[in-house]
This record gives sequence, C-alpha cells and structure tokens, in this order.
Amino acid sequence: MNIRRLKDRISSRLMLAATVFACLLFFFMLISIYSRASPIFSAVSITDILLKSEWGPTEGKFGFLPFIMGTLWVTGLATIIAVPISLLSSIYLSEYAGIRLRDAVKPLIDLLAGIPSVVYGLWGVLAVVPFINNTLAPALGVETIGGYGILAGGIVLSIMVFPIIISVTCEVLRSVSHDLREVSLSLGATKWQTIKHVVIRKARPGIFAAIILGFSRAFGETMAVLMVVGNVAKVPSSVFDPAYPLPALIANTFGEMMSTPLYDSAIMLAALILLIVVMIFNILARMVLIKIERGVI
Amino acid sequence: MSETHIEIDNVNAYYSGNHALKNITVKIPKKQITAIIGPSGCGKSTLLKCMNRLIDLTDDVKLSGKILIDNEDIFDRKTDIVNIRKKMGLLAQKPTPLPMSIYENIAYGPKIHGLKKKSDIDSIVEKYLVLVGLWEEVKDRLNSPASQLSIGQQQRLCLARGLAVEPEIILCDEPTSALDPVSSQHIEQQLLKLKNDYTIVIVTHNIHQAMRLADYVIHLYLGEMVEHGQANEVFENPKDERTRAYINGTFLADVKIDKVIDTKGNQCPYNFVYAKQAMHSMEKGQILKIIVDDPTAVTEVPRGMEADGHEVLSVKQKNKTDWEIVIKKQG
Repeated sequence: MNIRRLKDRISSRLMLAATVFACLLFFFMLISIYSRASPIFSAVSITDILLKSEWGPTEGKFGFLPFIMGTLWVTGLATIIAVPISLLSSIYLSEYAGIRLRDAVKPLIDLLAGIPSVVYGLWGVLAVVPFINNTLAPALGVETIGGYGILAGGIVLSIMVFPIIISVTCEVLRSVSHDLREVSLSLGATKWQTIKHVVIRKARPGIFAAIILGFSRAFGETMAVLMVVGNVAKVPSSVFDPAYPLPALIANTFGEMMSTPLYDSAIMLAALILLIVVMIFNILARMVLIKIERGVI
Repeated sequence: MSETHIEIDNVNAYYSGNHALKNITVKIPKKQITAIIGPSGCGKSTLLKCMNRLIDLTDDVKLSGKILIDNEDIFDRKTDIVNIRKKMGLLAQKPTPLPMSIYENIAYGPKIHGLKKKSDIDSIVEKYLVLVGLWEEVKDRLNSPASQLSIGQQQRLCLARGLAVEPEIILCDEPTSALDPVSSQHIEQQLLKLKNDYTIVIVTHNIHQAMRLADYVIHLYLGEMVEHGQANEVFENPKDERTRAYINGTFLADVKIDKVIDTKGNQCPYNFVYAKQAMHSMEKGQILKIIVDDPTAVTEVPRGMEADGHEVLSVKQKNKTDWEIVIKKQG
C-alpha cells in the first residue's frame, strides 16, 4: 500500500517537473540569448540596429533593417501566395470532394509536410530559380540576379506552408457540425452561400489559427529560403530583388563570427529578434482568437 | 380527406445497401399536422429528409419513386432544389442557431433570397419573433449571439428563422426531444397555432405528442409504412397489430434481439464490461439484451451504454430480481 502511494506521489511530481521544465525552456532560451546579445546594446543604439541599413560587422556597422525587411518580404509573399490557394483547396476537399478523393489527396498533402526543407531548397534551385531567370523575368522585362531572390524564396516557402494550412483548415471545416449546413440549406441557401456565410464563419477562428501556424513556419524557415533567396544584405524594393532574411543570416555567418568583436552579439541579436517576433505573432494570434470566440461565434 | 399538399409515391431509399424506406406511398394533407411515428431507426427522419432532399448530403444513398409538391417532382434532377427547400422550413432535433446574432439568424433566410432593404428585414425579424413569442424576451439584445439564448429560446428562434423565408410547409424532426417540458409545450402550442397557415409534418417518437398534435398519422416500422390515416381513427382503432402494439407501448416484444447476455450474479461494473465486449462483436443496428440482477447496474449499464453512443431501447423489470436492458448498437 505504501509503495503504491509512494509511486503515485513520485509519478505526479515527475510529471509536474517535466511540465515546468517544458514551460521554462522558452525563458531559459530567451535569457541565454539575451545575455550573449547584450554587449551590442552598449556599443550601438537600438534604433540604429533596427532602422539603419548598413551591414558591415568588420567596420562596426550593425544595421539590421535589410534582414528584417528581407524576412518580412519573403514571409509576406509566401503568405500571399499560399493563403488563397490553400484555403480554396481545403474548401474544395472538405466541402465538394467525395470521400474517395479526399482520402486519396489527404496523405499526399501530409507527405508534402514531411519533406525535409533542404529538398525544397534544392527543388527551388533546380526548378524555380531557372524558371524565373529564363522565362518569367525576360517576359516581364525585369532584372534579377540569375533568378535568385524574394520571388523564388516566396514560391518555395509558400509550397512548404501549403500542407500545414490545408490540413489544419480541412480539419477545422470538417468539424463544423453537419446540422448547421442542413439548417442553411433547408432555408434555401445554395451550397456556396452555406459555405460562405455559415461554414467559413463558424470555422473562422480555426482558419485564422491555421494561417498563423503556416506564417510562423514561413517566418523561421531557414534552409530552403537560404538556398534560393540570393542573400544580399540590402533593403529590397521589389519581389525580384534578392534578400537576406534573418534565419539565413544566422545560419550563414555562425562559423565566422568569432573573429570580429560584437559580431557574435549581433548574430545573437538576430536570433533574439526572430524569437521575439514569433512570440509576438503567437500572442497576437491568441488575442484575435479569443476576441473572435467571445464575439459572434 | 382535405386537399393534398405533398404526394409521396412509391418512395424507396437505400443507405449503403440498407433498405431504409420501402415502397412508401401516402398523401400528406394541406394545412394539417401530420405525425410520422415509429420506433427509432424505422426511417422516420429519412422520409422527412427525402422531402427537402437534405438526404443528398448523406454519402451513398439511392432513391427511387416520386415526391410531388405542388405537382413538382422533387426527385427530378431538373427541379431546382433551392426553390423547393425555400418552400419548407425545417425544425431540427437539436436547436441549431447559426453562428451569428439573434437578428442575423432570422435575417439570414430573407437575405440569401435577395432581400436588401434594411427596413423590410427589420420588420420581418420583428414579425416572426413576435409570432413565436420570443420578441419580448430578446428585443433589447437582438445583436447578441444567438448561442447565448436558452435551449428552449434557441428552438423558438429556429422556428422563427424557418418561418422567415415564408415557407408553405414546416418539417419538424423530433423538435422537442432536446427541450425541457415547459419549452416543449411552448413549441407544441406554436405548431397548433401555425397549422392554420402551414402544412406541418412532424417526426416524433413520443406517442403522446403525436396524439396531442396530429390530424393525420403515418406509422413506419423498419422502413415500411404499416398504417396511415386520420389521427383519431389510427389512435382509437388501429388496424395493424404493430400499430396497436406501438401505441400500447409494448412494441419491444417484436424487436428482433440479435444477442442475449446474462450477467446475473455479476456486480457493477463487470456487467457493463461484459455488455461492452458483447457490443464490440456486433454490427451497427443490431440489438443486444442484457439481463442483470444488480440494482446498480439497472441504472449504470444504460447510462454507460448511452455514453458510448448506443441507444437504450428499454429497461424493464422481469421479476423480483431480474431486469432486462435492451440496447441498439450505434456508431
């Protein structure tokens, strides 16, 4: 009896410890990255770091603007491409497609989610970049650096985000109760009216969460983007320009940064910015979700 | 018999090979309440869903026969089903407010049919909320979410929503089974009032409700129509033995029991575990009879079975110690 009670007590403590550990991990990371990044704050002012666009760690110039803008451009473009396509296809799959088609397509989409990002990058280099260089850029009469740039990064990234948005949105749409559809149809609504006014409305928080999930992945994605985006530290002004997103900066310079003072802290700062932005996105998403839930639904 | 509104002509329905409706031919009278009665799983709801073709949403259904409404065959591929559905309000088993405000719930139907003027919509919303007796209760919070209403209020809102598209027919699928007695009575009174202007078809497994409401009765049993006719005739002098049995509440005598387990001498929860195991090896729709003699099991086994999603058909005391629980496997 006592052994049983002891086991009970130990197991619950153990689970508590595991939970606390998992929760604290984020703060450990935040603190350790911050402590490594902090030297740069005493050398360069924070506004200079965030708003200046000169990047020359060897000369002590640490303007992060090109990287921040590069990240935003690539992520933004990926979202613009991915959201409409994945929403339309998830609506088709959940509302129009028959069971057999759905069962056939679902695993295929899940498979897309499992492909390592380096493979996407390689595919981008071998297919997307040449397509932009040889076909799209000449047709539009724009200059690119060999097809590498934001457009290539955005396309590759959007394809990586598809499966996440599609499978989550599909799940969310399927979970809308059958009775609601019946009610709307019985009032004489067409199928599209029912989907637009009732199903999507009911599923809105979930769809929103799906998009945020996809967006968060796009934001931090490193490998595939790094391979196709051009990596030029300049604030981009069009989708055909190359860019240098934050994750790519970290991955590319991690080895060499020891040689220059403050370089190390600058890279840590890049990591910190990434972490904080993703955190802000998550908090925002949660706030909007709560608002939507308390609102009409 | 008065004028016919819905003519059902030799309708058959098959659900993935299961013959759910067998040669149903009946005429539903205009501006009267027609009750479709029968035990669970006899095809009542299927027949109702055929009338507004919501049955199309179910995968793997085959239909044959004809249903004529105003001389239009609704099974005909050429018939515009959206228009047919507009003629028929549906009151579902569970109150299902749309995920919008009270006002928008009523306005939804008129709006999708093209009504744009705000003042027209306002007056429709008021008119039908008054009609179902909800106006006084909600007029100060028309813009709050419909899901905040009580279940009974939600069901009246759903009735008003159905009426707002100005149908000729109201189809009710066990509309009071989720409601408390007071709200149920409220809905029943509404329906009695509404039959002056609408043809009402109500599916119910509550024989007393059918007796209170119906002018005309259709009795379905295992997909077959065993009796139909004027309510007073059917209830007072049923021609079919099965109808008589159903009305007298002894219907279970004829339910085909697929499996019997005897758990006498076992205590709770073992009898439940045995029942669960027995269920596991059975097909959906099959019926299991469990005999118990533990007083706790008499309440706990049915409760557990319902929690698992099965349908408890009856719990009856057989003799001093033994009880019989009859359960139909679902899901």
